[in-house]
Amino acid sequence: MTRPGFVLEVDERTPPLLFHHGEGFRLEKLPLGTRVVYPPEALPGLRDVDGAIGRALEEPRGSEPLRALLRPGMKLTIAVDDISLPLPPMRAPDIRGRVIEQVLEQAARSGVDDVRITMANSLHRRMTAKEIEHAVGERVFRSFWPEALGNHDAEDRANLVEIGSTDQGEVVEINRRAAESDLVVYVNINLVAMDGGHKSVPVGLGSYRSLRHHHNVHTMLRSRSYMDPSASALHDSTTRMGRLLANHLKIFTIETTLNNDTFPKPFDFLQKREWEWSVADQAAYLAAKRATDRAPAELNRKVFHRIKAPYGVTGVTAGETEAVHEVTLANVHRQQLVEVDGQADVLVAGVPYVSPYNVNSILNPILVTCLGLGYFFNMYRGKPLVRPGGVMIMFHPVRREFHSVHHPSYIDFFEEVLAETTDPAAIEAKFEEQFATDPWYVHLYRNSYAYHGVHPFYMWYWAAHAMDHLGDVIFVGGDRRTVARLGFRTASTLGDALDMASETVGSSPRITAMRCPPLMLAEVR
Amino acid sequence: MGGLVREVRTVARGWRWTRRPLVPRSVAQLEPEHREFATEWARRPAARAARTAIQRGVLAPLIHFEVDVRVRGVDMLDTVAPPVIFVANHTSHLDAPLVVTSLPEAWRDRTAVGAAADYFFDVWWRAAATALVFNAFPVERAGARRSTRLARELLEQGWNLVVFPEGTRSRDGWIGEFRLGAARLAIENDAPVVPIAVRGSYQAMPRGAAWPVKGRRPVSVRFGRPVRPFSDEDPSAFNDRVRASLAVALDEEATTWWEAIRREARGSTPAGSGLDAARWRRIWEASRPLERPGRSPAWPTRKRADAARR
Repeated sequence: MTRPGFVLEVDERTPPLLFHHGEGFRLEKLPLGTRVVYPPEALPGLRDVDGAIGRALEEPRGSEPLRALLRPGMKLTIAVDDISLPLPPMRAPDIRGRVIEQVLEQAARSGVDDVRITMANSLHRRMTAKEIEHAVGERVFRSFWPEALGNHDAEDRANLVEIGSTDQGEVVEINRRAAESDLVVYVNINLVAMDGGHKSVPVGLGSYRSLRHHHNVHTMLRSRSYMDPSASALHDSTTRMGRLLANHLKIFTIETTLNNDTFPKPFDFLQKREWEWSVADQAAYLAAKRATDRAPAELNRKVFHRIKAPYGVTGVTAGETEAVHEVTLANVHRQQLVEVDGQADVLVAGVPYVSPYNVNSILNPILVTCLGLGYFFNMYRGKPLVRPGGVMIMFHPVRREFHSVHHPSYIDFFEEVLAETTDPAAIEAKFEEQFATDPWYVHLYRNSYAYHGVHPFYMWYWAAHAMDHLGDVIFVGGDRRTVARLGFRTASTLGDALDMASETVGSSPRITAMRCPPLMLAEVR
Repeated sequence: MGGLVREVRTVARGWRWTRRPLVPRSVAQLEPEHREFATEWARRPAARAARTAIQRGVLAPLIHFEVDVRVRGVDMLDTVAPPVIFVANHTSHLDAPLVVTSLPEAWRDRTAVGAAADYFFDVWWRAAATALVFNAFPVERAGARRSTRLARELLEQGWNLVVFPEGTRSRDGWIGEFRLGAARLAIENDAPVVPIAVRGSYQAMPRGAAWPVKGRRPVSVRFGRPVRPFSDEDPSAFNDRVRASLAVALDEEATTWWEAIRREARGSTPAGSGLDAARWRRIWEASRPLERPGRSPAWPTRKRADAARR
């Protein structure tokens, strides 16, 4: 039976606890009384995934069965979540491919010829052929690549269509092929509560003109948190856009959820509770620690990015977007929710090697900020894990390293923008437009494998709520100059970091640590 | 290399290599272990033969090598017929081997020992070793029905049981509260209870020690007067009688038979629960070395005369 998540109170019996530290990890002896939030163990995966997909398509929520929506001569677009999901990538066969195969099976039987499969990469980098093949499966790839299978291009003006504006004046502009299709089938992987629902089509197939209405500092400061759609201005905005789209376009949403089985052997000790580590787990830790400490970062990255998670599928739901997403969110919560009593003065977290925006790439300093202060800080419902004015301590080397192909605008953002200010609102006002419309970044986004010029700004906005909420941010083991550029502080050890934190929160703070990943969502009361 | 050594040391300390791993308290409260280990195999003829060999050839000599054991009151067993429940006070890991090796062979061969499920049956190899050497069966300290059921079955099959009704080793060397499980079992199965007073094991191998202390400390095992439950007796009342009988056996061990029965008649037998004082004083008193047994002197010594006067 799957054990639920829980809050450990560190006592003298507690072994050192594991924290991710970029492309490595570390054991830390936490102060007595520290609370550590552990995610629930992996729920059992569905035994018959293909059967579950078939049932979802036959008995959708709030919609006719898919088969009834398909007819000869129609235009069908299948949009698919991109490389940012799931994390780490899923061991083959990817659930997206399994779903697409069944959709295409029905389309073929219904005589649909005009099919286009689009990776809904929004302003993310284009996926490589190999990455797409992994996501959609070999059979689909061979049948459709490259003519009818490819990436969405948010800068291809000729292939974008403005659908209209919401009552709040938000422009909805999406991929022309999707907009002109008789049916859009969206295939998602809902890894965290932020994903999916009306965020899929308007964002995944949207453009900068459309995204700027919710990917901004004002919205992010009012998304508390963006992992809780019911309290998120970001989701309010995408819902308005999604509803507008639904009035113009038939969208059949298929959402899937995964369990917490994140790390395969020999890295499975990363998801075990430390006091339950067997001798083999301890040996695996020692070997992995030794190897990662000795090997160059480049090699470590190669090894870690090869990790493919042995996820189990916990749910497949299809139909009308909102009806589907309700079930999906319940499935995500079933796997990730942990109840936590009260806020802490200090929140401690280890930042791992991968975020949604650096799969097969480098977690650069801006992405470290986004992952720690954006994603991890926001992994709550109700109240943040740390009180207003509290301190967040993170473990990460924060090297001044960038992937020059994937993240060119990040380099300039770091060197030029952050050198001037780290205030998200000031950055947005002064620099966003310039980066977003820079022809060179647009060229690289469209023709190379670069994230859009505006993407580093969004990463910085993602952390705006945490920056506004926290009194101090300290990176343990971080590169001093790089972290200073980000506007944060560094410490050599956790003890030093706690000493530094005492300037803000006093000498006997309440400390909460997150044991993440595997992913969790704290329900803070 | 220094980094590796440091890491190995961190892991060795953190996971208590060579020692029993511990679970954080907040976890132990949340999820008591519920693993089940079958022990039925340990009562089959082959395992019994192996156990006899181990107990005779290894355990008993080892115990007698490490501590100076005196067993008294074995004649009390002549007044009962198996199956019985042996109830002993519990201050040390020595207690179970002491009790088992003190039993006459005919009794020992038909006796099973209740052992804490969460402690002795946590991993397969410890469970197997405990079951084989002591004919142990798991006792859920949280009071699950499973262990009572198993104990009842064993009694019904004619096995004598050794139970430590305090549920755990005493932290300060004195007798703690008796849980009602043994009393209930005795009443339900109409089985007599034989109290066993173990004295000196706390000094010889206190809680936390992995091996008896050097010096072959004196330890005594005394079988007390069997107690039989009345029909429909309240478990709590019977439990009190068992505890009182054990206290008399302990008193007899500490003084003399005559002293003990006189005090029992007066109702002034020490309960064995120690001083009502600070924890350190209780431990201080309990850890006071026992007098080494010597040959009985032919005439009263001053010390004996003083003790008798007291």
